[in-house]
Amino acid sequence: MAGSGSIWRRALTVGLVAGVAVLYLATVGLVLAFAERSFVTGVTSFGRVILAIPPLAAGFVIGSRAGSVNARLAAGLLAGAISGALLAVSLLFASAVDIRGVLIRVSAPLISFVAWDQDAVTGAGINLALAVGLGLVGAALRIAPRSVRMPVLAAIIGVVVMSLLERFLRPRLTELDFTDVARFLYQGGGLTVPAALITFVLVAAIAVAWSPVRSRVQRAAAGTDAGQRSTIRAVLIVLLIGALLYLPEVVGTFFSQVLVSVGLYVLLGLGLNIVVGYAGLLDLGYVAFFAVGSYLTALLTSPLSSLGLGLPFWVALPIVIVGAAVTGLLIGAPVLRLRGDYLAIVTLGFGEIARLLFLSDALKPWLGGTQGILAIPDMFGVPRIELPILGVISGPELTYYPLVLFCILAIFIAHRLKYSRTGRAWNAMREDEDVAEATGISTVNYKLLAFAMGAGIGCLGGAVFATHLESVFPGTFNIIVSITVLSIVILGGMGSIPGVVLGSLALIGLPELLREFAEFKLLVYGGVLMVMMILRPEGLLPDRARQLELHEADEEETGDDDSLAPSAPRAAEPTPEGLT
Amino acid sequence: MSLAPTSPIPDRDAASESSDAQGILLEARGVTKRFEGLVANRDIDFDIPRHAIVSIIGPNGAGKTTFFNQLSGVFQPTSGSIVFEGVSLVGLAPHDVAELGIARTYQNIRLFQNMSVLANVMVGRHVRMAAQWYDAIIGHPKVQREEELARQRARELLDIVGVRRRYEQDLAKNLPYGDQRRLELARALASDPKLLLLDEPTAGMNPGETRQMTDLIARLRRELQLTILLIEHDMKVVMGISERITVLDYGEQIAEGTPAEIRANPRVIEAYLGKQATT
Repeated sequence: MAGSGSIWRRALTVGLVAGVAVLYLATVGLVLAFAERSFVTGVTSFGRVILAIPPLAAGFVIGSRAGSVNARLAAGLLAGAISGALLAVSLLFASAVDIRGVLIRVSAPLISFVAWDQDAVTGAGINLALAVGLGLVGAALRIAPRSVRMPVLAAIIGVVVMSLLERFLRPRLTELDFTDVARFLYQGGGLTVPAALITFVLVAAIAVAWSPVRSRVQRAAAGTDAGQRSTIRAVLIVLLIGALLYLPEVVGTFFSQVLVSVGLYVLLGLGLNIVVGYAGLLDLGYVAFFAVGSYLTALLTSPLSSLGLGLPFWVALPIVIVGAAVTGLLIGAPVLRLRGDYLAIVTLGFGEIARLLFLSDALKPWLGGTQGILAIPDMFGVPRIELPILGVISGPELTYYPLVLFCILAIFIAHRLKYSRTGRAWNAMREDEDVAEATGISTVNYKLLAFAMGAGIGCLGGAVFATHLESVFPGTFNIIVSITVLSIVILGGMGSIPGVVLGSLALIGLPELLREFAEFKLLVYGGVLMVMMILRPEGLLPDRARQLELHEADEEETGDDDSLAPSAPRAAEPTPEGLT
Repeated sequence: MSLAPTSPIPDRDAASESSDAQGILLEARGVTKRFEGLVANRDIDFDIPRHAIVSIIGPNGAGKTTFFNQLSGVFQPTSGSIVFEGVSLVGLAPHDVAELGIARTYQNIRLFQNMSVLANVMVGRHVRMAAQWYDAIIGHPKVQREEELARQRARELLDIVGVRRRYEQDLAKNLPYGDQRRLELARALASDPKLLLLDEPTAGMNPGETRQMTDLIARLRRELQLTILLIEHDMKVVMGISERITVLDYGEQIAEGTPAEIRANPRVIEAYLGKQATT
């Protein structure tokens, strides 16, 4: 078979890629940055986890090739060995020759970390042996039946997540008087060995138990009618909102702050999702709308601004939304005729123009130049509020609750628009602008509408941001914001509303648990986007809700979304009436 | 079974039947289109009688699709006039033309690939729907009703053109070729057009499929009271279903008449087969 010849060549390639990945992660400093972050205390650190992932993944990839079990295992082993050999040789080289002049991060601590604090030759040997083992394990995992593979993978991910949560859980548990639990779970900045074992077994057990439960739930769901389903959905939504209201209570002040950041990016993501995901207009200058929302809020509410109005936030808000929507129209109008790459470049320019305008000396009397605008009042004008059920609200919670409200509102609007005549017109425009126009859609109007809606939702984020920080500065509104929001939309899945929420949690929330990674944030974003584009261009939570929603219980889901094979034999069915 | 829609559509024939049942639906006079010195259409006079099937034929590059694009608003004629039911089409955007009741298909199928089959047809219904974005957000009851009617009509049209119901939630790009052509036709029909422009509707089809499509076009005209303008290369199709044929060559109208007249016209034979064929 052709496969047996190529599996070795494939193993060679994958092994080399894994080896280069390992070297790259080490030389940019990511490995050493995580060397101090304990994974399982006394056993290993996250630095080692990072080094272990590429050879493991290489084995896993090779395991999916066609061939006999032995050949696949051997190929996995080979891929691991190549990756390990690359690291071993580099280690020997780096310890013999000083290459810090070229690669400044290849320091003595890094070398001794990678060498397991042994001499270079022993260290190289250890790395080689480990990589061989990891390649083999990766291949074995892939070859193992799904019923084994899934629980093991879930358990590994579970342990990693549990260890990452140390940042959040340990102080929080201590605060809430569960000091013993905290001490049992975490010590020295990482999971304890028993806690790691328990997590592993527990998650694996849950994963094993999950599949029969899921099929039962699916069967039960198939038996419900549309009315029951909408009731269930309503109950779930109410529960979810209840959980959101209770969340700051659980996570404490610091993580409430994180939730505020996540919420801001959810708003921005939902707005951009309308422009990019629904209407297909690639806008790289989305930060402009965020900035306009912030500055308009600042101008209207701050007593120190040039207008000096000092309006209450809630009075200013409608004006801000209308102002931002008008800005959307102003930015949209000149780019109506542009498509694709050209549109992207011009909007990128607009984003920069917006930032420079806010920064400029010419507008300094009105917008404050580099000093920005200060003394923006709180949303409610008081430091604490007492509510019947939620109790005393203060600090970031004062921003959190209105923000949740805005997010729910934005999700509602985005959802309603998506499944309407308007949403269909946007989608049609995204698919083929000329045909959409010829089908009767005024592409000019719908483009302008998309920009105005995107701006209107994005400016909410800006308004909340301004009152939350109580000041605005032009430096905040740089291109990185545009790129981050776009990454959120792409990671979650273009046009997908749950995707935006997941994307914000992953790209804004997760880094807070991994503070070491702050320096490498953009590197990791770039990597994540590349991997997504190659492996899963439709995003993590692709937009298939419509399909499921419209499937009226008469037909079982056929599984894969590309299952429509025209040649597949289908059961006899009535001939299409129109042509007989 | 009848092809007539069950959902109410304006009964436009009640008025027209008496006055100009045999009248002219579209009238083009002296239509000329120049592209940077190249004359794609020169001084074309063209009438489409109501409820007729009219064809435009001609060798490749004769300017057939250019003429089509002027009827549907994609291009503006350099000079000349196009009047549809008393309304001048010159200066109108394509979406305005669509709203007046002219729908079209494309030579190389152009569907909204990543939308469902049903959604494709419902986009075609866009001009006959009224819900604005604010109606959708506040959830006005008329929105639901309108969506339901549109969905119903879309399903009827899929039945009429012969795309199976079970495909309606699949992405358009996953349909077999013949079904893609039929879906494009359903999308065009969804706007309740008075005039349907078909650009090579049987291109790439085998003889069986071609016959089915020809029958379907004839039935659509009969039962939906459509007027159809066809660009077609397959002479059997053209001669079989057209009442009148116009022949273009190098942008000029070289003949116009019934199929029998066109078949006997020496200039047409020359354009198609070369000069020696006539001598």
